[in-house]
Amino acid sequence: MADTNNDFKTKVRNFTFKALKATVKGILFYGIYFVLWMFLASISEIVPGFQQMVETFVMVYILLIIIGELTSGTIFQYFFNVAKALFVIGYLIFSLKGGIFGLTFQNVSLMVDLRLFLAIAMLLSLLGLAKSVLQAINYMNEKAEYTRI
Amino acid sequence: MRVPIRMIGIATTFFWIFLIAFFVSAVYSVKDVHFDFGEPQMDVTSDNKVVFSLPVSIANSGFYNIGSFNISTEISDKEGFTITRGSTFVPVIKKNDVVTITHNMTIDLNDLLQQDKNYLFNDTELKIYEAVSMKIADVIPVQASTNFSVPWGASLYNFTLGKVEYAAHNLTHLKVVVLITFENRAFFDLVGNVQIQMYNSTDILVGEGQTNVEAHHNSPYHGYLELYVSIAGMTESGHFEVYFLTPFFNYGPLVIPYG
Repeated sequence: MADTNNDFKTKVRNFTFKALKATVKGILFYGIYFVLWMFLASISEIVPGFQQMVETFVMVYILLIIIGELTSGTIFQYFFNVAKALFVIGYLIFSLKGGIFGLTFQNVSLMVDLRLFLAIAMLLSLLGLAKSVLQAINYMNEKAEYTRI
Repeated sequence: MRVPIRMIGIATTFFWIFLIAFFVSAVYSVKDVHFDFGEPQMDVTSDNKVVFSLPVSIANSGFYNIGSFNISTEISDKEGFTITRGSTFVPVIKKNDVVTITHNMTIDLNDLLQQDKNYLFNDTELKIYEAVSMKIADVIPVQASTNFSVPWGASLYNFTLGKVEYAAHNLTHLKVVVLITFENRAFFDLVGNVQIQMYNSTDILVGEGQTNVEAHHNSPYHGYLELYVSIAGMTESGHFEVYFLTPFFNYGPLVIPYG
């Protein structure tokens, strides 16, 4: 009975710790977004929907960070990390329209070629994806070794 | 396996921070790039071509250099035929530097009139395509372009030869006075020479004369041209051939019948 009680307490403590860590990470990420937005705010006056686009990205990314943190110590953590990396790749491709970003403001057409930026971001996201896959393999490997022992 | 994974994580994080910081600072520094377009000027070259000059001053107070700065202009007529195009290229505008360039465009009015003489006598509209491109921080290409129309004013709008007046000059010749009227709606002042040759009904030249004309832009012109013709060759009808010689263009003959 005492063991069950202790086990429950440990689980609650662990979950509280994970929740705290997830909250801190989420707040930190939002803080970074908040600081960067001060520099990018002027763009939203020219590009309609830019703020909404960035906010959606930040919201989903924070959600994935929190879920990933809450599921840490399980295989699902790596699933969510993979989802995070895939989300970044997909969102960048769709929101940047393949890297050529164009808009018309009054009679002036503006075209920004972000293909280089997109390519590097893709590469880094793929690296993140590879890292998550490796972590998952490593996790399963360690778990198998632990079970054998 | 933990160490390589951690190294991948550290490297990825470092490059993400670098990429985002670079992108944000590059975008942010665009607001510190200022363009100042001066008054457009017009000049005529020795080979009678009109040169439009637009002084452009670029002040780069941003964090990075601006690379491959290019201004290009294309002027075409209503049908889309390209009349002229001009391009000005600056390889690098360094940070904290001010560069002043002159964007030139040359129009050969003689070529233009060869294609269509209506530019001389009728107002029309010209389409202008303007594009400014550059590479922010030498790596992010940006291009802004616009299309607009500008009115083209004819320099010899409504050109007419008025009523021809004849007066005796001597026993063999008559003095013919021709009233010349037109309106200069062009962007330039028209200063030049008008030559008129008078032909009789059998296409024989019976006399010629010339006069200097000076018509400021957006102002009408009324002037007389005197020519002396031989009485023997005169017929009741015939035609005038009018030639225009100006620093901007030479045109002729414009055939106008009389009688």
